[in-house]
Amino acid sequence: MTAGSRPDPFALLGLSARYDVDKATLEAAFFERSKALHADRFAQAPAAERVAALSKSRALNDAYQLLRRDATRAEWLLAREGVTIGDNERIEPALVMALLDEREALAEARVAGDREGLDRMATSMRARRTAALAAVAAAFAVPDLAAVKQQLILLRYVERYLEECDAALDEE
Amino acid sequence: MLMQIAEPGQSQAKEACKPRVVGIDLGTTNSLVAHVEDATPIVLGGEGGPLVPSVVHYAPGGEILVGRAAQAKAATSPRDTLASVKRLIGRGAADLESIKALLSYELDGDARAVKVKMSGGRTVTPVEVSAEVLKELKARAEAALGGPIEGAVITVPAYFDDAQRQATRDAGRLAGLEVMRLLAEPTAAALAYGLDRGATGTYAVFDLGGGTFDISILKLVDGVFEVKATGGDSALGGDDLDRAMVEAVAGDRVRAGGPGLVAAALAEARRVKEALTGSESTTFAVGFGTGEPIERVVTRSELAGWAKPLLDRCAKACRRVLKDAELEKRDLDGVILVGGSTRSPVVREFVGGFFEREPLADLDPDQVVALGAAVQADVLAGGMQNVTLLDVVPLSLGIEMMGGIVEKLIHRNTTIPCGATQTFTTYADHQTGFDVHVLQGERETAETCRSLARFTLRGIPPMVAGMARLEVTFLIDADGLLKVMAKELTTGVESTIEVTPSYGLSDEEVERMLVDSFEFAEEDLAMRNLLTERVEAERILAATRQAFITDAPMLDAITGVRAAGDAAMAVLEAAMAGSDHLAIRHAIEALDLSTKPFAQVRMNRAIGAQLQGVSLEDAAKKVGI
Repeated sequence: MTAGSRPDPFALLGLSARYDVDKATLEAAFFERSKALHADRFAQAPAAERVAALSKSRALNDAYQLLRRDATRAEWLLAREGVTIGDNERIEPALVMALLDEREALAEARVAGDREGLDRMATSMRARRTAALAAVAAAFAVPDLAAVKQQLILLRYVERYLEECDAALDEE
Repeated sequence: MLMQIAEPGQSQAKEACKPRVVGIDLGTTNSLVAHVEDATPIVLGGEGGPLVPSVVHYAPGGEILVGRAAQAKAATSPRDTLASVKRLIGRGAADLESIKALLSYELDGDARAVKVKMSGGRTVTPVEVSAEVLKELKARAEAALGGPIEGAVITVPAYFDDAQRQATRDAGRLAGLEVMRLLAEPTAAALAYGLDRGATGTYAVFDLGGGTFDISILKLVDGVFEVKATGGDSALGGDDLDRAMVEAVAGDRVRAGGPGLVAAALAEARRVKEALTGSESTTFAVGFGTGEPIERVVTRSELAGWAKPLLDRCAKACRRVLKDAELEKRDLDGVILVGGSTRSPVVREFVGGFFEREPLADLDPDQVVALGAAVQADVLAGGMQNVTLLDVVPLSLGIEMMGGIVEKLIHRNTTIPCGATQTFTTYADHQTGFDVHVLQGERETAETCRSLARFTLRGIPPMVAGMARLEVTFLIDADGLLKVMAKELTTGVESTIEVTPSYGLSDEEVERMLVDSFEFAEEDLAMRNLLTERVEAERILAATRQAFITDAPMLDAITGVRAAGDAAMAVLEAAMAGSDHLAIRHAIEALDLSTKPFAQVRMNRAIGAQLQGVSLEDAAKKVGI
């Protein structure tokens, strides 16, 4: 998901690129544009128009999907400034250790079917996500892109962890 | 078509050339068909009212009865009278353990595709049975509307997977219907409700039918219907409560009594369940041949007890969908009840308790889905322009990674159409092919998800592990259909497949059924194709000529398009005079291609015009740009 490989999602929605976008404005822009170019409007159109409408519709939906989620919006803004996050980014060793311990505790709770424990872990991890997102917003305001990047790497761990929590809680 | 984009105001002309289309609710228990007239959806009636019981009877002589007439045969020939077939469609035998114990007809087939084994060794597939119900609805609609049906939107449970959807599509095809779209049932209900009530806000649609359960959360704003999240259980419904009642009252005796008694007991359970809507207790009574009849008083609180495990499953799905939508119960503006099972006070109490509010049931829960389907059919036919439906993928889509783990490319509840791209690499040295295994579902391992497709990208030169870069792209269109592309980036080797999920019936088998079916003797099919293409050709010719006149300056600004378009129109006219439908199709495609640059310009202008009403400055001020 680099800035170069996709059209500018902010431009597609008629907004200027910034992290602290107002969610209601974003949604209103998405709805207005959807009304105009949704593929269903062109269902009876000749093939060429249908195909064009479909790809415009898809680009709009993908842009909205990217922008409405804080982490992906932040990653896109970083990428635009040439800061990318690789698959194996390093983070503070102490933090790595703490996260590994938590993953282990999660795995144990999962095996033991300890739903209360899982719930507790999910709640605490969600609080950490909120904190990290607040830190992202603060770092964008400075702006301190290196700090944004650190928080986003942390967020990836948090999201993985939460996905695993959800999967565990979904089990019978 | 070209005309509609440029002249949105000319509704009269549009009405005249709009295809005759309907919306169909193909239910587990009942089915019905609706149509939009003067911008208002109405259900189409018929003998015995608009509801057609989804029951098909295959008489030994080959005669086929549908609906009430078939239902009347349930007691005397249970093995040849097939109800609740929706629970079987797109399923393999392994998926059906829960209902097999109490079924009045016999199942056959393998793990991938289930069939029904009737008397005299005859077998029939759930797709064929569903097609019979659809044919009946099509006949009703044609009688009511006075002409052939040119397209239909058929509803499916939101939580149907791709195999179940494909099977439903094939049933439509088999019934001679052009399936314009499969629409999620709760979404259809929200469309009808939102239009009828002018509702605005965030609503949950709680849809409990005979055999399926869906829960969807939608946001309704000024003609936009955005599905925020959907979830459910495609094997949970009122049928299960009937079975639970029979099990509790006299499970062993009923099973021992054979299919006739099973059918009678299930019918009695349904009656008792419905009777308990109005009273606190009633008697369950089934005759038992020459033996002692089964008789037992059943109370509403007992019913609630049997319903409890089923409603617990509903609650779980409701919690998850709220979480997916990132909403709390208090954020909702209302909860809409859909599906026959929501008539039960036990279910209503549960919904009221769960969502902490009185649910809305002022539209007929049996009709609201078909009405919404009719609305969407009208939108797709170029009718209503004030409705925009933003639907989602109900189940996550991904590919299998090393070790059988599934990597999701598109998460559930992503708005469609959409796309996603991800890059992968090799795990072994000198690997010359990539296996791409496409999966659907929420679980983490490949074996617990549904396999949709599998293909191999070959011809990659041997490289050290980790060097090759495989880019996988998933594209989902407005119908929810998936296309998967895989490309090795260092060499440019690529491969693309359209994913048509199989459910045990191959394309050839479906084609053969089509040809075998009475309505589609081969010559009929050819004639039908020819007529369809001629109508389409006329429509496109008229639209193109009109556009060439209306937007002459725009057209002439693009070099060569007028000449190419005129030539292509001449070719199309010549093809229309002949009887080869494929020649017409190709000429239509050629015309489309030749006017493509012109179409593009017109469309951009149309979109620009539509957006002019919005003040982007206002939006910008709000965010402080």
